[in-house]
Amino acid sequence: MIKGRYLVLAHFWCAFAVFLAALLLGEWQMVMRSPLHAWINIPEYYYRSVTGHGTVMAYVFPMLVAMGFGYAIVELSLKQPLVGVRWAWFAFGLAVAGALMAAAAVASGAATVLYTFYPPLIGSPYFYLGIVMVVVGSWIWVVLMAINLRAWRRSNAGKAVPLAMYANMAGAYLWAWTAVGAAIEILFQILPVALGFKATIDAGLARVLFSWTLHAIVYFWLMPAYIAFYVIVPRAIGGRLYSDVMARLTFALFLVFAMPIGIHHLFADPEVGSGFKYVHSVFTAMVVIPTLLTVFTICASVEIAARLRGGHGIFGWLRALPWKNPAMLGLAFSFLMLGFGGAGGLINMSYQMDSTVHNTQWVTGHFHLIFAGAVVIMYFIIAYDLWPELTGRALGQARLIRLQLWLWFIGSVVMTMPWHLAGLLGMPRRMAYFDYSNPAIAPQAWTVTVAVVGGALMLVSGVLFVVVLARGHRKPNVQLRPYRFSVPVHALINVPKALNGFSVWVSLMIALTLANYGIPILQLVRAKTDVPAVFYFSR
Amino acid sequence: MIPSPPRKIGVLAVMTVIAVSVTAFFLGFYILPSSRGTTTLWQRMCRAAGVTSGNRQGTAQTALAGFTTVIVPPAAMAKGSAEQIGRGATLALRCTGCHGALGVSGANAPNLAGQYSEVIYKQLLDFKRGARVDAVMGAMVAPLSDQNILDLAHYYAYLPKAEQDHGLSDAPALVRVGDPMRSIAPCASCHGGSDGKVGAPALDGEPKAYLREQLTAFADGTRHNDANAVMRDEARQMTGSEMAQVTDHYASPTQEGTP
Repeated sequence: MIKGRYLVLAHFWCAFAVFLAALLLGEWQMVMRSPLHAWINIPEYYYRSVTGHGTVMAYVFPMLVAMGFGYAIVELSLKQPLVGVRWAWFAFGLAVAGALMAAAAVASGAATVLYTFYPPLIGSPYFYLGIVMVVVGSWIWVVLMAINLRAWRRSNAGKAVPLAMYANMAGAYLWAWTAVGAAIEILFQILPVALGFKATIDAGLARVLFSWTLHAIVYFWLMPAYIAFYVIVPRAIGGRLYSDVMARLTFALFLVFAMPIGIHHLFADPEVGSGFKYVHSVFTAMVVIPTLLTVFTICASVEIAARLRGGHGIFGWLRALPWKNPAMLGLAFSFLMLGFGGAGGLINMSYQMDSTVHNTQWVTGHFHLIFAGAVVIMYFIIAYDLWPELTGRALGQARLIRLQLWLWFIGSVVMTMPWHLAGLLGMPRRMAYFDYSNPAIAPQAWTVTVAVVGGALMLVSGVLFVVVLARGHRKPNVQLRPYRFSVPVHALINVPKALNGFSVWVSLMIALTLANYGIPILQLVRAKTDVPAVFYFSR
Repeated sequence: MIPSPPRKIGVLAVMTVIAVSVTAFFLGFYILPSSRGTTTLWQRMCRAAGVTSGNRQGTAQTALAGFTTVIVPPAAMAKGSAEQIGRGATLALRCTGCHGALGVSGANAPNLAGQYSEVIYKQLLDFKRGARVDAVMGAMVAPLSDQNILDLAHYYAYLPKAEQDHGLSDAPALVRVGDPMRSIAPCASCHGGSDGKVGAPALDGEPKAYLREQLTAFADGTRHNDANAVMRDEARQMTGSEMAQVTDHYASPTQEGTP
């Protein structure tokens, strides 16, 4: 069992509790704006709920999962107790207190500004301060990861860093630098206004700074899922990892290409020049490399498992896969959703094609398919895989787990596919209600109803997930075999130096961010394009 | 046996990223800008970088003439001190003829009692600067200093409202949910009821004649001190009967028929 299991359990349980609450909000929103319910009389309630749902799902939930998973990885892969346990608890407390403070501000209606903040809209300072506390908590985690890796290197000089820890550290560095954009925005732009020192704000600059965070944060959400692809799934299905080096390269390349691409969220923004929009589009396309490396490596690893189990033929080996194994099922679902979501993403990131779907329901469909679908389903797999290590008990409940994964997959697809279609038909996103009796949009009404059904399936699945984990605490104790991550097909003899450290990749990450964001930010600072702040408060 | 990974993978990665960057920047900042436009290539390259030509500030200034230039400072939104309210009360003696002794008008002028301080602040400044035009108010506001205006705003905000909010339960659809297909936002999303925006007045209990007159003035553009034309865009879309509906909802039933 993991020594720091209470730390990891605290992170996971908090994450899954807020996840369930936010899931409920999400489904409520979908019912309210569907033809199944009369128009909502007070749209502010809808946007308040959207703010809560987004803040939890984008910041609190994935951050707590990544932090908890990171602490577990330190112990399980480095085989050493966590250094800085007190700091870890402090970071956890800070993040939870911050999340509660932000939640209170949102719930009271003092900060209905959505999780993307949207200056010149300004809400209660407690909301922003809460977010800052969550982020500072996660930065402490980043430092702890680096300290623990250094401690390991000192006693294991010259050895290759275990893949799980290498990937985990890449995720931590990615997050540390990703959060800087939004941190600058909150600390230097929003908070001075929210606290009453200023009455104007440069909304264009704020959007550029937020875009620095906005796309890379997606890859931070993705990291635990990718780590699970590489270090959990191949072992869980009885196979081997096809290539350790390809895995390292994938995580290193995510560091490089995650940041200099965020302006593809601003294709419709007039304050950014078209040259930078084009360059960011090019770099977004570069994300294809680590993505396809992963698809190839993981498919190859799965094939190895199938052939070890006696599978043969060009496609015949697919039948030999352990389809009843949750990790196998989760991976298959995740890849299917990643495939469709990735294809949709190619449209969003294309400077020209984006204009047909920009700010439509398509975008909502896209990121729910990728994050809620492909990524969160792997969070489930991580929890299921680690649960015996954390509780000392067998998790069992295989049928229930399979049902839960199926429901999540079907729910995700049923929810997001109609959204994509509605977006293509021109339905704007972030609408509290529609007049479905209007002949112009009446034909789109069914898409919203179907999405409600998909959301309901996801809600049931989310409840099942929590039930399975809770019941896992009351199963009989078992004698655990030592936990291990996947091992590669070919034993790791010598890893290239660059892929055993981060200096090259972090340098490239910072250099590319400066090259791709420096001028857009500087010219907006120079242009002084402040506008009056719009103070948000419920009356 | 698999081939071992290249030893110099770090150097390879740096070279690749540099090559991609140079190509992307060359395409984005040279090839694409050189394909169109009547300005010089250098100007187009600057535009591609988002650097704007210097005269934007000037055009923005001329475009704003006759429109609101008020930026509400935090002080106008805070609660007024007793001293400010006292000064405001003295200044307000000049306003009682139309706006009533305690900010409730008997003359179809707006009721000011309990109105948000920043709303009064903005309107008075707009009158003073000529963004909102009214023969009487223009003359009344001309001698007021910024401090006077702030004091008056705090005084009227301090006075108790004559009427409770009318609530949303009986409100017409336009007030509750607007009409999205005509791009009319719900009145209640700015003016209170479901939501509020700084600068939007509370409307419950205002005289019907005044509300109707202002909506019409927004619709035909004779009143134009709404930031970003937000009210003009709403009012232009509304039919006469819709204007009557929403004014009926907000107007004070007790003042019905008073001159």
